[in-house]
Amino acid sequence: MISEINKYLDKLISYYMIDKDSASLFCLDDEIYTNKKEISPEAYYLFEKLNVNSLLITRPDPVVWAIIGELAALYPQVISPRDSESLTFIHDIPVIDVFDKDLVVHALGCRKGCIVKDTGIITTGTVSLEQAFISFSSICFATFVKYFSDFINGLYEYGGIPHPRPDQIEAFLNISPLITPPAGDNPLSKDVPLDEEEIITSMGEAGFSIVGNRLVDSFFGNISYIKGGNIYISQTGASLDELSGPPCQIDCVSLDESSTNDLTSSSELGAHIKIYEYTSDTAILHGHPKFSVIMSMYGPALGFGDTRLVGDIPVVYGEVGAGKHGLIHTLPPAMEESHAAIVYGHGVFCSGKGAFYDAFSRLQSIEVMCYNKYKELVEARLKVNSE
Amino acid sequence: MKDFCLRGLFIDITHKKVRIETLPSDVSRKYLGGRGIGVYLLSKAPTASPLDINAPLVFSTGALTGSKIPASGRMMVSAFSPLTNTISSCSVGGNLAIQMKRAAIDFIHIVGKAKKETIIKICDHDVIFDEIPSLGDMSLGDMFSRFSGFKGSIAAVGRAAIHGCLFASIMVDKSFAAGRGGLGLVMASKGLRAIMIRGSKRPIIHDRGKETKARKDIIRLFDASPAIMGRSGIKRYGTPALVDLIASRRMMPTANFQKTYFNEYKAFSASNIIRSLAVKHHGCYACPIGCKQIGPHHTQIPEYETLSHFGALNENASLASIIQANSICNDAGLDTITAGATISCLAEIRGERYQGKDFVDKVVAMASGKGEGELLQLGSARLAEELKVPEASMSVKSLEMPAYDPRGAYGMALAYCTSTRGACHLRAYPISHEILRKPVAIDRFSFSGKARIIKIAEDLNAVIDSIGACKFAFFGASLEEYANAFSAVTALDYNTDDLLRLGDAIYTLERYINTKRGFTSKDDLLPERFFIQPGTSGPGIEIPPIDRVMFEDTLQRYYKIRGCTPDSILRQDRLKELGIV
Ligand code: SF4
Repeated sequence: MISEINKYLDKLISYYMIDKDSASLFCLDDEIYTNKKEISPEAYYLFEKLNVNSLLITRPDPVVWAIIGELAALYPQVISPRDSESLTFIHDIPVIDVFDKDLVVHALGCRKGCIVKDTGIITTGTVSLEQAFISFSSICFATFVKYFSDFINGLYEYGGIPHPRPDQIEAFLNISPLITPPAGDNPLSKDVPLDEEEIITSMGEAGFSIVGNRLVDSFFGNISYIKGGNIYISQTGASLDELSGPPCQIDCVSLDESSTNDLTSSSELGAHIKIYEYTSDTAILHGHPKFSVIMSMYGPALGFGDTRLVGDIPVVYGEVGAGKHGLIHTLPPAMEESHAAIVYGHGVFCSGKGAFYDAFSRLQSIEVMCYNKYKELVEARLKVNSE
Repeated sequence: MKDFCLRGLFIDITHKKVRIETLPSDVSRKYLGGRGIGVYLLSKAPTASPLDINAPLVFSTGALTGSKIPASGRMMVSAFSPLTNTISSCSVGGNLAIQMKRAAIDFIHIVGKAKKETIIKICDHDVIFDEIPSLGDMSLGDMFSRFSGFKGSIAAVGRAAIHGCLFASIMVDKSFAAGRGGLGLVMASKGLRAIMIRGSKRPIIHDRGKETKARKDIIRLFDASPAIMGRSGIKRYGTPALVDLIASRRMMPTANFQKTYFNEYKAFSASNIIRSLAVKHHGCYACPIGCKQIGPHHTQIPEYETLSHFGALNENASLASIIQANSICNDAGLDTITAGATISCLAEIRGERYQGKDFVDKVVAMASGKGEGELLQLGSARLAEELKVPEASMSVKSLEMPAYDPRGAYGMALAYCTSTRGACHLRAYPISHEILRKPVAIDRFSFSGKARIIKIAEDLNAVIDSIGACKFAFFGASLEEYANAFSAVTALDYNTDDLLRLGDAIYTLERYINTKRGFTSKDDLLPERFFIQPGTSGPGIEIPPIDRVMFEDTLQRYYKIRGCTPDSILRQDRLKELGIV
């Protein structure tokens, strides 16, 4: 269990997700394991009261923490993000002023995680620490996206979001320069993988680079490669920075439906298959770059069947999976020409020929474009307002 | 908090007496319904012999049934098992749960023994005892056809139960089984051949708005789950979708668990079934998944467990014989898992193989209880004991293991032993995270953390079985969404953690009853084979024997977490804390 704790502590630190010293990770089997020298009375209490086996108490990185502070001031009891992953998995995020152990127990009894203003984010798991890590990462993503999308939509009076007050604008102007702009380098090889071993290696490298460049938070997104009659695709819930293993988290799925082994494949397998049909490409990357998601939400809310453009990239509506409003119906045709599309409030899908180099470049350039557009739009509006 | 009192029928079948039994609010709030109420009512006669006249037989629904919440049409049948002597409860689908709800009945609590074979007919307030001329060996198929004009739901036992089979099942609406542990024999021992129920009231929902929101949240998660709605999910293929996956993980029990891989598994894989047969889908009441399948001539397509045990466990690659044997089991009311495992046990003892027609012949004998069938009706543990080879029975507490080899998933290995009804995959269902990666993937070849994981999973599944939900729903959704659904339907403001605590109390009460019935840590044992014999390794997958020291260490951790002494006896302070004593 200690190795599990070290693994997630390492991820939190190496991806700059936390304020280093604040992270407390706990696993409980018949006794409590932790990265801390001592087990705090709070941790004992939470484990005593909650039927869980893992606990993560930590402050996120200072930028996200400042954002959470702003949102918590606006929504003192509960923050309700509108991005699609949150609507599906996190629902909403309870907010507590000061660490009151019974309030925390109640909040964590209702939701996967909560925000405690004098402490940080607290998340739990009933199967493994990975759940607590995912929920933490999801809360960071959801609050970031909500903050920036609400701000721009407020400025442009979309979606009934009130125009930011002067103090909110001032806070925004303090926070936004702290954001690291998306990186522009592409570390991937252009060599086409020739056999299964090379495919798995290149998928591993692509997954690792997407996470490393923060184009997705560790456990979301998916990635595939098609060769012959098979699609190699990341498994459901696979961590993109651990795809090639061990254990390998890639399924080889035969297109002729002669096997049902894809029961463990990414929920977007169906969409990937259709994208290959529409584009004749060979590689697909799906990430959740934050400004692409934020820009997809800029403007009136989209519904099933609606589309618009950000730059020359289509934005479509579609829920996760293959349901009647699933992105499987809207995304693949939208990618036919552009080889890329943003799913409203969700993430970016890019395809390319050969190895993952082209798809990665597209993913990255879309995020850079969205980041720049966001800045331009906000600056323009603030300028008009100040005049 | 609104009063929440479960209301049922107490039926004394000996005297044909019926009264309304209303459970106090504190009991109802604590035990929720379904499995919880089953164990509560059984706890009133904790040491009753399974076939004793006063031993209870309980049919109980969960609060969600009748609502718009997806996959909420399941219910439980509970009794003491004649096969294992443990407490036993089986989840069953079909329309029985919704008809009980419409008749405003949360549970039916039956004791006694009818003088003549009886059918109980319940139509809203009316309860009729119909003494019938013995239906004898009539097949369940014929019995259901005979009552096809009845617009409600029927639970019935077949000739296997009438002939004393220790693992006779109860069949509901022809194709849904309360399969494990011989509850059909308990029902037959009461002279009760069938219960027919029809109700006409609309179940009460506390908050329709919240119910709609909860439904939407759950459907969104179903859509996002590959195991449910994915290209190879159970909506499309049913549980046979597991055949390829379990085989590829090298954990498909083969040749009575002597191997873990069957070369010819493709013969009964889901894709082969869909390709070779015209298959239609159906399901439990109001379920959007509809994971059950019907083939040509209304034959039921077997579930994964049956395909695997009638196929790989018996090294039988004849799909036609597997389907035929499954139909015979359904027609006679036989638990297919125990049936397949008992035949494979006999095959190993005799050094023979029963494939194709030979396998079907064994099932026919088993159903009739005649000739060799008399021995086969005992289940593998007693059969192996009789034949002086007790180690050939692949069972825990005399319940045969289902189709996941414990050497391929160590959480499953532990859960087979800690399960309160013997080797059951559904009490903790670790296949969900060890194989299907839901809610997250964990290392199937490690015991690290598994003691608490299994304990929490047991509590969770006790809740699922008590609120009327289906376990398959949890391949996508979580208790968080179902807790909201439960509150919307009942007005009980329970969150995830409140429900898990109640699940803990329900599970602990089951364990407490088993202890009273004489079960100890000596019964929480895997067959020796799994500690000394490797499985069938394959490309990149090693299947070694289970490390006994690690296993026993994890079992001890489990006892500690569950609140037991090292001998698995529940500590008094724990029983007090949970309000059990
Ligand atoms: S998923 Fe299958 S077993 Fe579960 S409720 Fe639906 S039809 Fe019944």
